[in-house]
Amino acid sequence: MITSSHLHELWSYRELIIRLAWSDFKLRYKSSALGFFWSLLEPLLMLVVLYVVFSHLMRIQVEHYQLFLLLGIILWNFLSRGTSMGIWGIMGKPSLVQKVYFPRDILVISTCITALMMTLLEFVVLIIFMAIFGVLPGWTIAYFPIIFMFEFVIILGLSLALSALNVYFRDVQFIWGVVLQAGFFATPILYPITIFPENVRWIVMLNPMARIITILRDCTLYRIAPEPMSVVYVAVSSLVVLLIGYFIFDRLEPKFAEAI
Amino acid sequence: MAVKVEHLWKTFQIPHERRTTLFENLVGFMKPRQYETFTVLKDVSFEVNEGECVGIIGDNGSGKSTLLKIIANILRPSKGTVKVEGKMTPFLELGVGFQPDLTVKENIGVYATVMGLSKKEIKDRTDAIIEFAGLENFSDTKLKNLSSGMQVRLAFSTAIQTDPDVLLVDEVLAVGDMEFQQKCFEVFNCYRKEGVTILFVSHDLGSVRKFCDKTLLLKEGQQIVFEETNRVIDKYIYESGSENYISNKKKTRLETPKNAKIIKINDVRFLDKNKVENNNFISGDPVTIRIFFESYDKIRSPIFGIALYHQEINCYGTTTEVRGCDTGLIDGKGYVDFVIDKIPFLAGKVYVTAAIASSDYKVQYDWQDRLYSFGVHNLSKESGLFSIDCRCKVTKNV
Repeated sequence: MITSSHLHELWSYRELIIRLAWSDFKLRYKSSALGFFWSLLEPLLMLVVLYVVFSHLMRIQVEHYQLFLLLGIILWNFLSRGTSMGIWGIMGKPSLVQKVYFPRDILVISTCITALMMTLLEFVVLIIFMAIFGVLPGWTIAYFPIIFMFEFVIILGLSLALSALNVYFRDVQFIWGVVLQAGFFATPILYPITIFPENVRWIVMLNPMARIITILRDCTLYRIAPEPMSVVYVAVSSLVVLLIGYFIFDRLEPKFAEAI
Repeated sequence: MAVKVEHLWKTFQIPHERRTTLFENLVGFMKPRQYETFTVLKDVSFEVNEGECVGIIGDNGSGKSTLLKIIANILRPSKGTVKVEGKMTPFLELGVGFQPDLTVKENIGVYATVMGLSKKEIKDRTDAIIEFAGLENFSDTKLKNLSSGMQVRLAFSTAIQTDPDVLLVDEVLAVGDMEFQQKCFEVFNCYRKEGVTILFVSHDLGSVRKFCDKTLLLKEGQQIVFEETNRVIDKYIYESGSENYISNKKKTRLETPKNAKIIKINDVRFLDKNKVENNNFISGDPVTIRIFFESYDKIRSPIFGIALYHQEINCYGTTTEVRGCDTGLIDGKGYVDFVIDKIPFLAGKVYVTAAIASSDYKVQYDWQDRLYSFGVHNLSKESGLFSIDCRCKVTKNV
């Protein structure tokens, strides 16, 4: 669990966490010819497709729809990539589990940080696009790092639970793939929350990712500060996800080396 | 007290049908799962003092590696406690977490961090590591482009940069050529001199004897004895002998011509100093090679012979006739002993050929070529294939 002694232990392993995350990050781009440009190209290609489909065919009317879409895709990608990588955090490194000991959540934390690095690269694309379209953020951008951190906390919590379950149940990865697919459409990424009637919006907004994406878009692109209650909801729900993740992880962790 | 193990038990549950997917778990929910329970460690307790080097020996499946992994905190005990004081480094496998697609330098960074080195230490020692591994010209080469020997050298030279208080070693020395093993021994000697506590799991009784002050003998998960190394090895070889006696006979057997079979060899057994059947002996101890025969007719003075082989080399051969032993009239079952007072072999596997011939050597009744074998273990500091009596004398001021 997240006790102070465990946090202290994690802190003493900080170099290992960073080293693992960084080497994974390098590995990802090492053998491709375009290197980390893939990381930039991928969301762009997706943006083009979705932009064409949704702005022209579905006729969604949103100010700065390109940026609206791009930020949504990047933020959702962070979740889907982070958890899809995190699911293999334990299974993907059997020798580090079976032949040497350090707190095993380090493996999951480091894959989440790798995903974070990839997402930070994608933000470069966003910044360039914002400059091109002349959208400058106001003071509300100050909310960005806080809310973004809560997204990281959610990803970490999910990854901890998924990576531990994946050791025992190999189909967790497929189930999670379906959940992510459904989540992509259930979360206001392609569309604004306002397309729902007023009285059902709260249901959609139970999903912390829906809130996170909405808040981050508002504060980055439209200079709208989030409602305090919304921030509290995001904070509490992300910590709950993390606690549940750690709870599952800690329950399953003792037998990792035997079950892999 | 560097390591303290108290009443340690470990059981593994191995399900008859393994359910690896959620689907299988849901479908199989109604059926109770059937487990096979293996108790790998049964009530193991011992203490290792600071700076001691302790060997852990035992047959395959006796729980040695499991014990080491529990001490390393990789596996958790089912019952009992393990306490380790100070910084512990496990050498269970060399090159843990090596990534073939990263360069030599990058891999050193990752591996050294895994082994517990700080960023600054890594920075300071990277060049030394590369030099020690002899890879000066390959520091930016991808690991996958190195030979496996180079990779092992790299892993080893990185691993030994750690300064642990407690070192756990599991058969690492078994890999690599003689030169590499020699290097390993030198390094472990250095660690010992620095007062590092070492726990060393090995099959090689020779190296256990060379390094370990005390040794723990495990048998089927039970702690048989934990005391001074030479006595433990003696116990391992001689006391487990009769119970653990596995037929020393190879499965294939050359058939001798049927018509010649008036007398045949039923079995060959080896007896140790306690007159107990055994397959393992300590160099310099007595061994009796006992040939069991069965004749179907009366035979006058057949000749029994043995030949000892090390690998393909015939090291020694003799017969009852050469040794001046008349076998007399033989009818029915019996046995012939060849008593060797001191085994001259130092270490290794000795293959034994047994044969029976007629009194004039003209008819080969039975001839079993290297069907039997026994192991010899070296407790002395002599090296080589066999022992030669040798005295040393110094003459000065000539």
